[in-house]
Amino acid sequence: MTAISTADDQDMVAGLTYPTKRDEGWRYAPHDVLRQLSFGPPAASTPPLPPALGAKIPALNGPRIVLLNGVVDPALSDFGALPAGLHLSTFVDARREQPELLASHLDNNVGLSADTFTALNIAFGQNGAVVHVASGHTIEVPVQIVDIALPDETGGASCSGVVIHLDDGASATVVETRIGGGDFGGSNTRTTITLGAQASLDHIVLQDVASTQVHLGHVDATQGAGSVLRAHLFNLGARYGRVGYDVCLAGEGARAELTGLYFGIGNQTLDQQVTVVHGAPDCTSRQSFRGILDDESTGVFNGGIDVRPGADGTDAEQSNDNLLLSDRAEANTQPRLEILADDVVCKHGATVGQLDSNALYYLRTRGIPEAEARRLLIGGFADQAVDTVDNEILRTWITERLRRHDA
Amino acid sequence: MLHVESLTASIGGTPILNGLDLDIGSGEIHAIMGPNGSGKSTFAHALAGRDGYEIGGTVTLDGVDLLDLEPEARAAAGVFVGFQYPVEIPGVNNMYFLRTALNSVRRARGETEIGARDFLAVAQDAMDLVEMKQDFLHRAVNAGFSGGEKKRNEILQMAVMEPRLAVLDETDSGLDIDALRIVASGVNALRGPERSMIVITHYQRLLDYIKPDFVHVLVDGRIVESGDHTLALHLEDHGYADFVNHDLDDTPERPLSGAAR
Repeated sequence: MTAISTADDQDMVAGLTYPTKRDEGWRYAPHDVLRQLSFGPPAASTPPLPPALGAKIPALNGPRIVLLNGVVDPALSDFGALPAGLHLSTFVDARREQPELLASHLDNNVGLSADTFTALNIAFGQNGAVVHVASGHTIEVPVQIVDIALPDETGGASCSGVVIHLDDGASATVVETRIGGGDFGGSNTRTTITLGAQASLDHIVLQDVASTQVHLGHVDATQGAGSVLRAHLFNLGARYGRVGYDVCLAGEGARAELTGLYFGIGNQTLDQQVTVVHGAPDCTSRQSFRGILDDESTGVFNGGIDVRPGADGTDAEQSNDNLLLSDRAEANTQPRLEILADDVVCKHGATVGQLDSNALYYLRTRGIPEAEARRLLIGGFADQAVDTVDNEILRTWITERLRRHDA
Repeated sequence: MLHVESLTASIGGTPILNGLDLDIGSGEIHAIMGPNGSGKSTFAHALAGRDGYEIGGTVTLDGVDLLDLEPEARAAAGVFVGFQYPVEIPGVNNMYFLRTALNSVRRARGETEIGARDFLAVAQDAMDLVEMKQDFLHRAVNAGFSGGEKKRNEILQMAVMEPRLAVLDETDSGLDIDALRIVASGVNALRGPERSMIVITHYQRLLDYIKPDFVHVLVDGRIVESGDHTLALHLEDHGYADFVNHDLDDTPERPLSGAAR
């Protein structure tokens, strides 16, 4: 057991230890890389944003909050003229104005029982963004939260948070863009989503920190009756890019659709840890994750469906499809099903394959050169995830980003 | 136009084509018939350039040696093979695929690429030809298509690509009578003095709709008999028994009309 080193020894983080390969959720993580990260409270000042990094932020027409090294940057943020029903604030403001929204996110009782990096996020992620939509309001413009990691030579991983709270019948789209540049280091972000009855949220995560860095992301969602969560993950950047989802379907008839795409090149490890808890009757969940793995990259999908006693009428499906583009690439897929209710439909399936040689040949007989035929097939595989995103600007951003990846 | 001489093909040491000779003139339609396992599909894929065969002999199209070319270069040279089992490609839009294919061939020939709007007109004509609805273009290539839709999509691609040589591999298999009529009328509309076709089929039925100039019987990887369309009628009545395991010097029990080429 190796103790975590942090910039200051708060009681909350004293005694925290790194996960090891023996921990189921951390089996494929590059532990040597994780141990080089350092954690601490945000620095007093932040460096300027390099223009090249700023250009990576999708140009959505809506408000945005930008966090740089774990601190809200007012100059880069745009609170604009917010539509009726949408309230955007920082943790600092929310502590004063709506402390109840932050309560569960910052509940440090999680402490040592949660994983180490969650505990570190609670200890040091004192800043972040709060998105609150009042009852019955539909927010048409996407709300963007940008988390930028610009570590110096100390290998810092910034900690920040996002709280999304939709009151009953509210609906919104929130895009979390996570990018990074500069030296080794990274970001540790945590999102807490609460959906009231009949609320509807499209939640998109674009993970694209630098290929030398680490991203540790976690999303906790609790859904009320009849609510709908559509979560879309594009896990693309980082030496180790990890995004976890813990979704609790707590109200009757809630629905969660989780879609993910990870595309690894070089020595990237892209890790998705997903658990959907069916805690009420007649809920529906879909997990559909696709991986494209080239070079020596590693993909991980660890997906759980947890049907609690009394959650009758559960309809749960999970799929994980992997496309290996290199014989050194690796896909690891692990379904976990625990079913403690009756009248449950639960399906899961996983595939690991290579580009379809028949399809490649078919395209080539139509005059399409081999390299382009490969790109077309890879694009077709990815598009089945990309097409789940409604926003056209985002779809274009993702498609162009993927094209750079497989060029 | 197409010259095939002593073509051999084997997979893992197992011979499939055993010295196939065939000459096709410009604008001609040749039907190739034969029992299962006689090498009909292998012939189509040997022309298209599929990996995995050991190939011998000569195949030239307008004097260009095809056997040295990759599949995409053969397409640029004017070869189109309609597949017996068209491949499903989920996630790849049919329209995008068709335009990429056409522009790839144009690029390879040093021609200018076709823009999205002009292509739409080309695609619309091709769709009319095979009686396809608009949504057809916006679906993924062959994904979830019925057997008939897949074959119509092959003819649609042929109409867009405007090949010099079209090889249709069992285009009639799995088609009901309406789909067969649509496919055949599409093929007939694409006949022309500058376009030759090889129609590979197991049954004479297709040849009621597409009348060939010549019919060849393929057995054990060789053409053992050639004639005009009446040869197909003879096969319909008598099957392939006359040709299977027979010595090539034998005369069939009934004289055949039409000259062997």
